[in-house]
Amino acid sequence: MSSSVVPPNLTPEDFEVEYSEEASLPPEDPSLSPSVWIQKNLFSSPSSAVLTVVFSVIAVLTIRGLLAFILGEERQWDAIATNSRLMAAQGYPLDQFVRIWVAFGSLIGLAGFSAAIFRASGTISLKRIAIWVMNIGVAAGVIGLLAPLSSSGRMGWIIAALVVFGVGAAIWFGFGEERRRSTFIPSIWVLSGFALIGVISLWVVPYGHYFLGEDGRATVEEGTVAFSTQMPWTVMWAILVVSHLVGLAVRDRLPAQASKGFLGLLWVIAPFVANWIILRDPDFDYDHVFSTDIPMALAFIVIGGAVLWAQSSSTIGETGRLLAIAILLAAVYTWVSRIEFLDFLPNWSMLQKARLSMLFLGLYGLAASNFSRDNATRRAYVAGWVIFMVIFHWLVTAVNSPSTLNIQSDTYLGGFTLTLFIAWLTLLVSFPIGVVMALGRTSNLPIFRLLSTGYIEIIRGVPLITILFFFANILLFFLPEGMEIAKVAAVVIGYGLFSAAYLAENVRGGLQSIRRGQFEAADALGLTTSQRTAFIVLPQALRVSIPPLVGQAIATFKETALVAIIGLNDFLRIANNTIPAQTDFVGAKREGLLIVSAIYFVVAFSMSKYSQRLEKRLGLGTR
Amino acid sequence: MTANMSASGMELGRADMIVSDGVDKWYGDFQALKGVTAQVAEREVVVVLGPSGSGKSTWIRCINRLEVHQGGTIAVDGVELTNDTRNIDKIRSDVGMVFQQFNLFPHLTVMDNITLAPRWVRKQPKAEAETKAMELLERVGIPEQAAKFPGQLSGGQQQRVAIARSLAMEPRIMLFDEPTSALDPEMISEVLEVMKDLARGGMTMMVVTHEMGFAREVADRIIFMESGEIVEVGTPEHFFTNPTEDRTKLFLSQIL
Repeated sequence: MSSSVVPPNLTPEDFEVEYSEEASLPPEDPSLSPSVWIQKNLFSSPSSAVLTVVFSVIAVLTIRGLLAFILGEERQWDAIATNSRLMAAQGYPLDQFVRIWVAFGSLIGLAGFSAAIFRASGTISLKRIAIWVMNIGVAAGVIGLLAPLSSSGRMGWIIAALVVFGVGAAIWFGFGEERRRSTFIPSIWVLSGFALIGVISLWVVPYGHYFLGEDGRATVEEGTVAFSTQMPWTVMWAILVVSHLVGLAVRDRLPAQASKGFLGLLWVIAPFVANWIILRDPDFDYDHVFSTDIPMALAFIVIGGAVLWAQSSSTIGETGRLLAIAILLAAVYTWVSRIEFLDFLPNWSMLQKARLSMLFLGLYGLAASNFSRDNATRRAYVAGWVIFMVIFHWLVTAVNSPSTLNIQSDTYLGGFTLTLFIAWLTLLVSFPIGVVMALGRTSNLPIFRLLSTGYIEIIRGVPLITILFFFANILLFFLPEGMEIAKVAAVVIGYGLFSAAYLAENVRGGLQSIRRGQFEAADALGLTTSQRTAFIVLPQALRVSIPPLVGQAIATFKETALVAIIGLNDFLRIANNTIPAQTDFVGAKREGLLIVSAIYFVVAFSMSKYSQRLEKRLGLGTR
Repeated sequence: MTANMSASGMELGRADMIVSDGVDKWYGDFQALKGVTAQVAEREVVVVLGPSGSGKSTWIRCINRLEVHQGGTIAVDGVELTNDTRNIDKIRSDVGMVFQQFNLFPHLTVMDNITLAPRWVRKQPKAEAETKAMELLERVGIPEQAAKFPGQLSGGQQQRVAIARSLAMEPRIMLFDEPTSALDPEMISEVLEVMKDLARGGMTMMVVTHEMGFAREVADRIIFMESGEIVEVGTPEHFFTNPTEDRTKLFLSQIL
């Protein structure tokens, strides 16, 4: 029998598809005529009729009030339009703005490609699309009828509503009952279709602060949205579509596991690359890089690689583990002692790299015995170390190099970019710590249990804002001599530690839901405790924990707003403090707050929707 | 009990694979096993019968240390079970176990369920482990299910995968803890066929079951337990036609 024993065309995804979508559709419930539906659902009894009427009136009044607020003449939406660049990226230098677009474009390209590789895009039936479009028409109609508009404006809204509704109705009636339900369109094309409408509108509608010149053309003030961003957004849209198409084209030719792992790695390093490399443009001192940084990285790659190769030999036995522990202890010693033996290193950043690399080498070596199977596995194991070291040394060198950006304030990030950056890094920091804490808390070893429980309970008993104040203002005094830390980094560390405690509790819930039989089966097969945890317990526990974990991620994203209090210019602070202080827009606070709320809502809601899809996908095959 | 050692390893002329000597086990104040003493010889098939709560599952689970016994000794293939984890790992990789509830890993495909332990415990290369797994799946009759998840299989198929998963470690002993009790009646025979096939192949087996037909046909010896004690040991012929103990007769009269 050849080595490829699984029938080549069968992958788990095939079965998922078979189970989710190719099943024949059940007949729909008979649809009721509108009058019967209304009677059945809204006026089934005298009391329900009263409730329907009362709450309809309340709903109409609420919507009317909200529309009057949004569209009222005293609203200064120009304040938002003119300051949208400020809200997005604060004081980032204008002539360097292309860096923001490059960073954003890289992420968008990565997202489009990943969506194809991970098969993350679901499908939407024509029927649902038709219902959506009609609903948008209805919403426009409600605005047209209830909002305080001029009569021509009202007519415009109503006509637009009728047109949109008509398009929806055309989709509905243009296809028969059967085709409408069984024709599926990938949701990513529907979404990018809507995005395209938005992008095209940038070219047509002069949003923002503009005035009409004598020739009838709209002239834009400096910094206004529409005319400065139409080209970048068009490019962004094209990157999304092209990267997704490329992903679709190549995904069947790539090895599935390996490419997913590689993309996962890219997502993990993406925030660092985007921040330290693209946005900051580190000014590498190449003399130093060639004379010190690269030799040092090479030393760790070569010596560390040789040590790991020896540790993963099948004959080394317990000696390998002892060696790893010795390296770990040596690394710890360099942290706690006022080391002299590393004094030959030229500067603090070198010392920092050496310490961290040693620590990682010890930790990585602990897993060596799992990879002693054959030389191919050992090579993959050592290659993992090499890749990790290259990325690590590159990033640390970038962090410790001065930035080419000439910025007055202590942080060049601000606005929504800062919000996203803090949220993303915090999640990255807190996830591993949280998982380790959860495992520690359920461990059989009392010292781990004690430490984890103590950590979790102490952190959960302290308000987030206290921790942020502590890390932003007091952490500096605890650092070793010569070490500096940016306020943003301090905030991310503090917030990450805080979030990890909550995450640990969510993961612990998942761990406790694993049935005893799973542990017994793993034990009976002779798996070690760490293998059992890595292959059997954690994958299942994390799946179960997805809903609370996403809830935690949403909360983390929203609570980044607290950094406004400790003086970082996130976009809440810009909307609340900066814009109302401008001479043109004195007191224009409500507009900004409404927009900020809307953006928070859109991001949080998308995350929640995505988690529902993820849950459904991962739930398949698990029962 | 001394009278019941009718077919120990000595008599068959084979080495004892499992030696259980005076094993005691308590759950709190309740004594689940009371001095259980028995041997299983190499290539012998021993079926353990008894009413529910008689301690037969507890005993079989003590043999690969899923339960910890508090008195007496258990030795598997000459290695005594102590708290030394290296002994336990050695014994567990030599002893396969099939559970009542299958206990397949729901997040892994059938193929990954089977190859996980050979790859990570036996350190087999992936290709070799998969070839072996495919052979085992053919042996249990479901090679076409390799890429599916356990949740997509019937109970009988799941239990056959569980047997294949244990066999992939090339165990010298197989323990079966009520392997057919959670199955629908029409699926029991497909699992029993696989077990009979194993027995014919010369595997050392200890089977806790309620399938009297299987016991009568396949067992070399039957051990009857009640209230944590071994009541009677004998060949199937002796056990089903001419039992000596009253408690055995009562049990047989209730189930036959």
